Amino acid sequence: MKRKGICITSLVSALLLALSFSATAEEGVTDTTIRIGQWGPQTGPAAPWGAVARGTGVYFQMINDEGGINGRKIDYRMFDDAYNPAKTKAGVKELQEGIGIFGWASGVGTACGLSVKDYLMERKIPWVGPAAGSLHWISPPQKYLFAVYPLYYSEAQILTKYAVSTLGKKRVAIAYQNDDYGKNGVAGAEKQLAKQGLKLVAQVPVEVADTDMKPHIMQLRKAEADAVLLWVGPVHAARIVGTGAAMQFQPQWMSTSTCSDFPFMFSLTKGLWKNVIVANFGELPDSTAPLMQKYKKAHEKYAAKDERWGVFFYAGFGFVEPMVEGLKRTGRDLTRERFVKEMEGIRNFKGIFGTIDYAPYEPSDVYSRQGQKEVFLTQCMEDAKAKRLTDWMEPD
Amino acid sequence: MDMKRDYYEDVQLFSSGVKLFWFILLILFLALYPLLFKNYYVYVANYIAINVLVAIGLNLLVGYTGQISLGHSGFFAIGAFGTIVLMTEAHFPFLLALFAAALVTAVFGFLIGLPALRLEGPYLSIATLGFGLSITRIIGRIELFGGRQGLHAPELVIGPWHLNSDRDFYYLLITITVILTLAARNLVKTKVGRAFVAIRDADIAAQTMGVNLMYYKTLAFALSAFYTGLAGGLYAFVLRFIEPELFSLLMSILFLAMVVVGGLGSIFGAIAGAVLLSWLDLELRNILSIPYLGAWLEVLSRSYFSITGVSNIQYILYGFIMVLIMLFEPLGIFGLWIRTKIYWRTWPF
Repeated sequence: MKRKGICITSLVSALLLALSFSATAEEGVTDTTIRIGQWGPQTGPAAPWGAVARGTGVYFQMINDEGGINGRKIDYRMFDDAYNPAKTKAGVKELQEGIGIFGWASGVGTACGLSVKDYLMERKIPWVGPAAGSLHWISPPQKYLFAVYPLYYSEAQILTKYAVSTLGKKRVAIAYQNDDYGKNGVAGAEKQLAKQGLKLVAQVPVEVADTDMKPHIMQLRKAEADAVLLWVGPVHAARIVGTGAAMQFQPQWMSTSTCSDFPFMFSLTKGLWKNVIVANFGELPDSTAPLMQKYKKAHEKYAAKDERWGVFFYAGFGFVEPMVEGLKRTGRDLTRERFVKEMEGIRNFKGIFGTIDYAPYEPSDVYSRQGQKEVFLTQCMEDAKAKRLTDWMEPD
Repeated sequence: MDMKRDYYEDVQLFSSGVKLFWFILLILFLALYPLLFKNYYVYVANYIAINVLVAIGLNLLVGYTGQISLGHSGFFAIGAFGTIVLMTEAHFPFLLALFAAALVTAVFGFLIGLPALRLEGPYLSIATLGFGLSITRIIGRIELFGGRQGLHAPELVIGPWHLNSDRDFYYLLITITVILTLAARNLVKTKVGRAFVAIRDADIAAQTMGVNLMYYKTLAFALSAFYTGLAGGLYAFVLRFIEPELFSLLMSILFLAMVVVGGLGSIFGAIAGAVLLSWLDLELRNILSIPYLGAWLEVLSRSYFSITGVSNIQYILYGFIMVLIMLFEPLGIFGLWIRTKIYWRTWPF
């Protein structure tokens, strides 16, 4: 009888102990691991951007082999959503509710991200570095969502300023994709030009399904533009520059970080991308910066043999650097609340992207959750080499 | 036995007590489903239910009336955008907005049905394809519909209920799906359903018999669009964010595949096809975590495929399953079901 009593007491106390432990441990965190998830299109129309999620995988592998973060290894769970928001949502829910994820890293696609944003924010799950420069992430700012990618709006401001102040251009025009991305470009350029007493001489919308660029070039030529911002995807940018050359219209073309992969753009345009000026959010592929060298070694060591060392790939490192920094700062006692607090304390953090700053959560201040504000400009030279034109710049 | 002795035996909803029993069991299962499974599977069920609605609607058109459509993603988009815009701009309550948007979609269906009076087969498929492709372009250019930036779904409130979790939404969705499934089941047993089948089998003969082709063909399009538009409105709330790019040609083809793989001209087939293909669509992503097979596929992909090859295996398999079903049973899953039934009925002979 007595033994039975002892048995029951020890069983109950063991159960209570187990319960108390599971209550204090944060979801997705064990003594030895931190579980982090990411979605990325490995198939479908946006598959080239899938390199971001694979890059993050190599980055985490490198960190794990160096001993992990505060004694914990990263348990990285990546899945293919084929750029389809219904699948993004399915995958996020499955991992989050199935095995428990501490926080989500990066993730390609505005629509994909928006389909899970409310879900993650309602559950107070941190998400760092969505791989798109959209205003959706920070307007209004969310306590658990930290944006890294500089805004396309800021890129337009900086490029416009360079065109007018340094190159002495007076007639700036823009060809923009008729969506969120393109319209941010128009707004940024207009704001910067207004400061300098100028206006856009032409705003030419480009639809995703447009294939013939002649009407667009006609409009730009009629406006006598001497600098044209290309706020479109790589394929349209290549078509516009190509059609322009065929129609003997060659202003100073300028474009966003989306078209900043020079070897890719150079081959896509068969060399016509030469002289184009673009904004860059991260170091160049052939950079000699020590951190870039280190990452390149990790690429050689861990990446699959046909994985190219391209911007998308190492952007997978850059988008997640602030998250890793936040995890390091949080220390052993890792909870989501403490992690967010430490993220908010990040100032002047420099990885392979521009300087990252966050601030304590302030619903009216979008920059409390916009990490990177600066970009630098490069020009495409012969053989797709990049010439650095400026240092890191922030909009005025 | 299946022999019908009078008309009322043919049109009754459940031809035997056994069928009624299974139906009640199914309803019980559907009611308990969210309690038995994790939230993720509730989301999967919601996704499947939406596709079931579309497949039933499309089957009324393709399977029963014999008119092809490659533009159903267009109807789906009209329903989705219509519902959200009616709620946010015109301040309609959800159910009213949902049905109003579905009615608008039905009007579009009627309009697409008009050229169908003169077009057949491949020509009709091109006409509907054009509709599906252009409708998303048009929506993308209208600021009211959020342009290319898309729209967020508003909070979902019906009377005293806030239906913002997957579980709460599930009950609404399943109720609508069951009601509309029964409605479709009833419809095909009526004069309208028989007219549809007559048009499918021989439209000239049907006309000779007094079936008004113009009326019934456009009605088939309108009905099919109604189902699809309603599903679209519900889909907007499953995803909570929609943009024109979502409603692609691929989506239309997937809808058609559901109907064909499931079995043309059968409500059961439409449901089976939608369940199988949407489940595979979401779950094949996990093929690499199957023990042994996953590892083997990964090795295969690393040696012979490109860097993302391994992820494409899910599509190869997806296509392979479709080909197999069509190869061995042209009537689709419904055909398999019929064969199984006959086999057991005459067992062991």
